[in-house]
Amino acid sequence: MAETLTTPDYAIILLYLVGTVGIGLVIGSRIKTGTDFFLGGRRLPWWAIGMSLVATDIGGTDIIGVGGAAYAHGMAVSNFEWIGCVPAMIVAAFVFVPFFYRTGIYTVPEYMERRYNAGVRTALAVCWLIFMACNLGIMLLASAKMMSALFGWDVTLCIAVTAVLVGLYTLTGGLAAVVYTDAIQCAVMIGGCLLVTGLGLYEIGGIEALRAQLPNPEQTQLILPADSPSPFPWPGIFFGLALILSPAYWIGNQAIVQRSLGAESEFAAKASYVWGAVLKNLIPFIIAVPGLIAVAKFPDLADGDQAYPMLVSTLLPVGLRGLFVAAFIAALMSSIDSYLNSAATILAMDIYKRFIRPDADERQLLTIGRVTTAVFLTWAVVFALLLTLLSEESGVYAIFQTLMAFFQGPALAILLCGVLWRRATGVAALIGFLVGVIFSISLFAFTQEAVLAWLGWKPLFQVSEPFLYFSVWAFVVTLSLVVVISLLTTPEPEEKQQYVISRFKIKSQEEVAA
Amino acid sequence: MKSTPLHWIGESVRDLLLLVPLPMVRVLFLTLLAVVLLWILSLPRRETTAPESDGRSGANLKVGAAIALVMQLAIYTLL
Repeated sequence: MAETLTTPDYAIILLYLVGTVGIGLVIGSRIKTGTDFFLGGRRLPWWAIGMSLVATDIGGTDIIGVGGAAYAHGMAVSNFEWIGCVPAMIVAAFVFVPFFYRTGIYTVPEYMERRYNAGVRTALAVCWLIFMACNLGIMLLASAKMMSALFGWDVTLCIAVTAVLVGLYTLTGGLAAVVYTDAIQCAVMIGGCLLVTGLGLYEIGGIEALRAQLPNPEQTQLILPADSPSPFPWPGIFFGLALILSPAYWIGNQAIVQRSLGAESEFAAKASYVWGAVLKNLIPFIIAVPGLIAVAKFPDLADGDQAYPMLVSTLLPVGLRGLFVAAFIAALMSSIDSYLNSAATILAMDIYKRFIRPDADERQLLTIGRVTTAVFLTWAVVFALLLTLLSEESGVYAIFQTLMAFFQGPALAILLCGVLWRRATGVAALIGFLVGVIFSISLFAFTQEAVLAWLGWKPLFQVSEPFLYFSVWAFVVTLSLVVVISLLTTPEPEEKQQYVISRFKIKSQEEVAA
Repeated sequence: MKSTPLHWIGESVRDLLLLVPLPMVRVLFLTLLAVVLLWILSLPRRETTAPESDGRSGANLKVGAAIALVMQLAIYTLL
């Protein structure tokens, strides 16, 4: 696609990059305290947070990867944006988000200490830090590889330029810069992708004409049989995605929850999730449907990930291709900046302030926030460059989902028990969480061919990418352990039980701010 | 190739799930969405509207949440 970009396209890309970084730097100049840096001073508006939620969830690799998955497996991939987001977002908006907002926490692990103990907080914080450290490198590399494949740019240069651009505004402006730039990136991303879908459908002759040209009617179906050869049979989607991974993501993912904690009011925090859920309805139409359009237009592509770039090359006129490239870069930047900011928040609040400098004041927290952001950014670049030396056996999308699945199920189990059940104890949560994570990693190991050959076992799962099932089983194991061990151990004292949702004393806006 | 108790558990669950007809599965998906929608509509007004001090006393989040869920119900009915 590189050869199809012209001067007007590059001008649009440059305009977008300069505008985004400039806005981020202007916001950064107003950051004075740790609360400003980590929670945007608790002054963020609902509309920006809602758009930021959507932009963070959709990475650059998702635009290409979801389009590719739709090309290969049909619309069932859209479940990740629909049943895998909307119900959980709505429940989170009215139950969990206002509750967390009232407690005045900075991080989800911080809540775990208030409700359970420091061990649970540290275990969850360490899991998040490992995940985010790996994920930042993977996201940087995946985006760079995709830019290299699409536009012919050098991988190392792409990693460096992305890191510098994202680092500039995340380092100076913290969460506020991330949220406002994400809002712009969300608009650019939706605009660019909407253009591809609209022009694609126009050329095909509309939705009915598209349906008629698809070789397999199953490609338009969201619900696939339990024995479907695709990675998205309904049991995994319903039990693994809709009931476990999706709530775990929207209720317990620090990178997601943190921006709602920075809202200007409890109402704004709720409204941001509702607005995000409304926007989520649109996403598959602009990133999955183009995959189906590509099936009709280019039925013989060897690699589904080429579907979206092929459409862009053939459908968009000069100048508008630049808008798509800007949308792609916006999507990848909006995910990287969010994870970078959240990783820095966990390191600063759950490790540095908790164990090293409990008396750190707001200015010191601001400094440590910027230092930890720089540390994570440097690590991500080094990790991404190291990964370029390794061969890539599995798709990046699957790796990302698998990493999340290792601890998301157990994390959701202890979070739900902590928020909803006052009898849950810290000892039970810690044991349940650790066993659940080990169980999940063991299930992953038992899907690896080398391990199965060594043990002489049949594969444990009959789908190609069973990460949705890891989370279900790990959730069930953790929940069972927490319930049994809690009933066998001494109940937590009243000061811990007050962080159960039914017993929590509502704090005023001033108390939360303090 | 050996089977273990884990394989037996997994295959039993899988066999059970294969017995569920796809139209019933669609009903399951729609029921989940409908239950969330009904719960939203039943929430007291104070939980879905802004306090007067917020300056947005006319806004009710039930509307946005209901729109998001009705769109989902339509999508899962049609596709």
